[in-house]
Amino acid sequence: MGTEYDNYSPDTENTFFGVRLDRFDRLRETISADRKALFGLITVIGFILAAVLAPELAPFDPMAQEYTIMQPPSLTSAHPLGTDSFGRDLLSRIMFGARISLGVSLGAVFIAAVIGVTLGLVAGYYGGLVDDTIMRFIDVLWAFPWLLVAIMLVAIFGQSVWNVIIAIAFAYIDDFARIIRGEVLSIREEEFVMAAKSIGVDDVNIMIDEVLPNAVAPLIVQFTVLVARAMLAESTLSFLGIGVKPTTPTWGALLGQGRSLIGQAWWISIIPGIAIVITVLGINLFGDALRDTFDVRQRGGS
Amino acid sequence: MGIKRYIAKRVLQAIIVVYIVATAVFVAVRSVPGDPARLVLGGTAEPDALAAVRAELGLNQPLHIQYLRWMSDLVTADFGTSIYTGEAVLSRILGAAEPTLSIGLIGIIIALFISIPAGIISATRRSQWEDHVATGIAFLGISMPSFWIGIVLLLTVGTAIPSIPSYGYAPINEGLLSWLSHIILPGLAVGLPYAGILTRMTRSSMLEVLNQDYMQTARAKGLSPRLVLLKHGLQNALLPVVTIAGILFALLLAGIVAVEIVFGIQGFGRLLIRSIERQDFPLVQGSVIVISIIFVFMNLFIDLVYMSINPKIRYGSDT
Repeated sequence: MGTEYDNYSPDTENTFFGVRLDRFDRLRETISADRKALFGLITVIGFILAAVLAPELAPFDPMAQEYTIMQPPSLTSAHPLGTDSFGRDLLSRIMFGARISLGVSLGAVFIAAVIGVTLGLVAGYYGGLVDDTIMRFIDVLWAFPWLLVAIMLVAIFGQSVWNVIIAIAFAYIDDFARIIRGEVLSIREEEFVMAAKSIGVDDVNIMIDEVLPNAVAPLIVQFTVLVARAMLAESTLSFLGIGVKPTTPTWGALLGQGRSLIGQAWWISIIPGIAIVITVLGINLFGDALRDTFDVRQRGGS
Repeated sequence: MGIKRYIAKRVLQAIIVVYIVATAVFVAVRSVPGDPARLVLGGTAEPDALAAVRAELGLNQPLHIQYLRWMSDLVTADFGTSIYTGEAVLSRILGAAEPTLSIGLIGIIIALFISIPAGIISATRRSQWEDHVATGIAFLGISMPSFWIGIVLLLTVGTAIPSIPSYGYAPINEGLLSWLSHIILPGLAVGLPYAGILTRMTRSSMLEVLNQDYMQTARAKGLSPRLVLLKHGLQNALLPVVTIAGILFALLLAGIVAVEIVFGIQGFGRLLIRSIERQDFPLVQGSVIVISIIFVFMNLFIDLVYMSINPKIRYGSDT
């Protein structure tokens, strides 16, 4: 399943964490030429800004209640996106919700990447029995529905941000392990790896210094795509009431609270949904631009 | 490797996976902080009642005995009984399965009906406006949570067409039309994101096939482009897509669970969420195990079917 990937150059002068600098120029070209990619980039930046700056930018305290409940959205009112059934400002709640979405999805994908990359590196580098054992373990993870992991964690340890992060991370370990293993297999026999081995560099250093940088591009692409999926997963768990604590304003939870009121106040569930769709779409399109730029071939399967 | 050995190996792998999952569930339930019986009954429970629940969960025995009992119960398909209703876990799960499977089935059918034509058009009109439209819509599809689509459908289609019920489920044996009208919106809600995934898959599979030598040969023989596409192209391009569609059924599970809540359908999702809210441990652990088993063996089944219709696949090698 190895991918042809022309960036085998061991010299790291014109690279940034193993990605050749000219690829960034190409990314800029892709983005300025492709409106979809531009939309993706703007969305990603806007989302991160909204999340990071929520305490400064949000017009209201997300928990502050007002007497005028369920105000419909109106550009001229103090609450442009309306208020919920407790009179809380929906715009502020969505901005604070972005923090949770960003934190949970980045955290989950990061943990999955660290574990998956380590497993994939070791499996691909050593091969043989080590490879077999690790890949069977990866198969188990793959076969295990992540929703059930989440449900088990919540049923046993109660609701918390960490349980949500761990449950989602579980689901993506196998994606990273498979990618990195494929890359390792295709570059294991390269001269620069052999050379490092022959001068007595130990295995861990070879894996980190020689093998890993050459696999960075597909990892970045996969990371981006999985962040988008993790956001959907987080919103699903919150919507089901088994995500982050119900009182926390997450996008899924906002949507879930509005569900019983759609007859009277459609905006409480529709607007957080639009926030989810725009953000996830933006990340997906940005990921696609990265894929084109880094020339990473789409693998069969997932 | 021979085909029989390959099948035997895959079945053995599936059993090992189930065994590991069962062990993980065992460990997880035993690592509950505090006393599970107290979690079940609440802080004010009588000692007698606590002891009874502990006995029911098998927690009053040494760990290794508990483990052996847990495994032997699994082998005999005894998944315990619900703490609340006293019903067998397995029959509760099977009883809730029909709505869930119906939604999944309709979802997959809708997804295939949308994605196969869309993917083919996208691939044959590559980089033209049809491709851009199809790809754009597919991206939109994979970016929407099913439960939100469900809510939007309820607000739009549900209110515009009053004859489509927006709440509950009608069993299939009470009439096909009534069944269909109850699950068409939930089916759309889970089917649309799925169609997005499958469209992209059909497109790339089709593009790959279009570049194959045998396609050129067929065209060179003077066959009409349409015939070449339909006969040689589709056959080869759709096999992986249909296979993936089956395997991804499992991925639909989370979507279906959430969509059931939106439409007030008493399916497996409701059952799971209820059992967590009530801390009904036997039901939670039983559901996890039963779903995992279904999951693992369904993948195995699809894998073997795929292998039998596609002679090109090699047994045993996974690189």
